[in-house]
Amino acid sequence: MEMSSLTQCLAAFLFGSVVGFLVQRSRFCNTAALRDAMLFKSYRNTKALLVCMMILTIGFTAFISVGGGHPMHFEVGLNQVIGLFLFGIGMVLAGACTVSTWVKSGEGNVGAMWALLFTFIGMFLFSLFWSSTWWPPAPQTMTGGVDLAGLQLGFANAQTLQQQTGIPAIFFGLIQSLVLGGIYYAIVRKERAMAAAREAAVRAAEQTAKTASATIASPTGAEGDDTDTLATAGKG
Amino acid sequence: MRQGEAMQLFKKTIDPIVALSIIALLDIFLFLVVGAWTVGGGETMITGLVAKLFMGDQIYRIPFWKFAFEPTPYYWKIYISLGMFFGAIVAAVGSKEFYWRVPRHLSEWIMITIGGLLMGIGIRLAFVCNVSTFFGLTPEMNLGGYLSVSGIIVGAWVGSLIYKRVMEA
Repeated sequence: MEMSSLTQCLAAFLFGSVVGFLVQRSRFCNTAALRDAMLFKSYRNTKALLVCMMILTIGFTAFISVGGGHPMHFEVGLNQVIGLFLFGIGMVLAGACTVSTWVKSGEGNVGAMWALLFTFIGMFLFSLFWSSTWWPPAPQTMTGGVDLAGLQLGFANAQTLQQQTGIPAIFFGLIQSLVLGGIYYAIVRKERAMAAAREAAVRAAEQTAKTASATIASPTGAEGDDTDTLATAGKG
Repeated sequence: MRQGEAMQLFKKTIDPIVALSIIALLDIFLFLVVGAWTVGGGETMITGLVAKLFMGDQIYRIPFWKFAFEPTPYYWKIYISLGMFFGAIVAAVGSKEFYWRVPRHLSEWIMITIGGLLMGIGIRLAFVCNVSTFFGLTPEMNLGGYLSVSGIIVGAWVGSLIYKRVMEA
């Protein structure tokens, strides 16, 4: 479907507005999805990110299978690893990624506005050093042929996978979704184990407290549930 | 929808899984009509437009703005970013969560400044941001997505170590 640029901009604005609203109301943060999992073993945002990626994988590859949608075509190479490595450090230091800088700015966070300003400045600084000669040019990396310079081993994306193997893209999409689902399941299991361990620790602490209070309370005889406490304590 | 129900939207925190699932379905729709959700491209175009405002036609002497990103306001990705800002203001004001927050310590300002610069340089070096990595390329099973994911995970880990050290100091 071809649209005028005005309609495209309007669709993009509507999409962005809903995203901004939902991200603000759900306190989702992409930075937190990675940082909290690494620093605090907390996975609230990580799980949401994985679910979103599973839905997107199935949706995108399903439409790619029938030749629909607008898949991204661009340069692939080591520059992605290095660039996103720098970005990863940056987003944790700034405490916000590209989405949350806009959303937090909308909440009145001056720090996020400052981060956004310096993202712009960083982009401008980079533009001064950009050269088309060393940049991996798109036509060379998107041929679907083996291209080591562009780290392209013949499989650029779901579209080339489909073209080269004759297997619809959705097949590969389902495999990727299963992998993402596996990571999600591993996180849920880890969370359950942590919750069980925490509960056990709380129960143990409670019991020690109860046994202690029972020993103090029993000589006076004021508490009626001494036997109960001792019985539960005995079970542990 | 009654007014009471509408107000509920602003009172409760939406489960991030529910919020991100709705965003995913909308992103698939956007993928069908224009292309998947990205942010870095729009931000670059905003940078170009602002630079053009200050520099005028001098900006075309920098090859990047002549060949890679010629500044134009008719680039749809700009409006995703502006939309997110607008949607967040509506949500924050509606839920009475809008208030000015200013970082207090100098160390925070320095970290945010360096972080912002690294994000900007990283986006342009990689040609993608975290949004296109997680919500565009990787779901499209693009090799660039996998390369980016491996980079961002190591980067976030290194960043977390630095963050921890600065915060503990």
